[in-house]
Amino acid sequence: MDVLEIIKGRRSVRSFSDKAIPKESLYAILEAGIWAPSGSNIQPWEFILVDDPGLIKKVKLVSPGLYGLPKALIVLCFNKKRSEKAGRIGPSLAVMDISMAAQNMMLMAYSLGIGSCPIASFNKIALKELLSIPEEVEPVLMVSLGYPSRWPEPPHRRPIEEVVHLNVYGQNLRR
Amino acid sequence: MSMAKISEDEHFQLLAFLLTSARGCVDEPAIYGPLRLIDAAERLINIIEGKHQRKVVELEEIRELIQKARDYVVTNEEEFIKALDQLTLKISRIIKRDVITFGPTNSQYTKNGK
Repeated sequence: MDVLEIIKGRRSVRSFSDKAIPKESLYAILEAGIWAPSGSNIQPWEFILVDDPGLIKKVKLVSPGLYGLPKALIVLCFNKKRSEKAGRIGPSLAVMDISMAAQNMMLMAYSLGIGSCPIASFNKIALKELLSIPEEVEPVLMVSLGYPSRWPEPPHRRPIEEVVHLNVYGQNLRR
Repeated sequence: MSMAKISEDEHFQLLAFLLTSARGCVDEPAIYGPLRLIDAAERLINIIEGKHQRKVVELEEIRELIQKARDYVVTNEEEFIKALDQLTLKISRIIKRDVITFGPTNSQYTKNGK
């Protein structure tokens, strides 16, 4: 698969089969995450891999945006102390860095036939308690992983001509 | 004093879902409010059918509509609202008839929508 094929093929999967994810695949997905760009190469992230089925069920209890029963979760957090190195803009940069890491992970997952879904709708206080996340570490995003029971249809995309402005705002790109 | 594991209890699961949803709805898009409510409704269907150990025809129709509505949340708000109207009509009809129909006796009860 070429890169654009992987980018276009990835869907947010919310229904998973019972098939287990091989450890090597999880490792490859995490490795894709750590190779994301980050502001000043600070790499402010901390990733928590949750593969204990009992713990996944407990995380699901406090995560209204988590659908289906995934085989693994990756909780993407940023370390506030690390992000401070980027100055006052640190926390917002860290969120961008984490978003890029998450995208890397989801594309890697898709290339391996594994479905994923980014989830921001979870209760941070509850999640920090459940996963013993320290005060200085802030969970931002969760990625659920599993083999899909079905691949959803691609949703509507705004066309390039509408989204992209050529040189100045308001001047649409023409093919 | 006796103790029991609670996280497998479906009522407790619904309780946790409602409380965390309540907090989430403060910050999330307004449309997520009705989404959480229909998600909670589907969980209630599981609880009702679990109590009877049988599928309930009318509730399965509602479940199907909930699943359709959920697909519309981020793609077509107008269709989502239409689906909510249909759900309201369906539940009104059940209330009016005040009768539910169980699925065939030989059908094995399975929890759906999870």
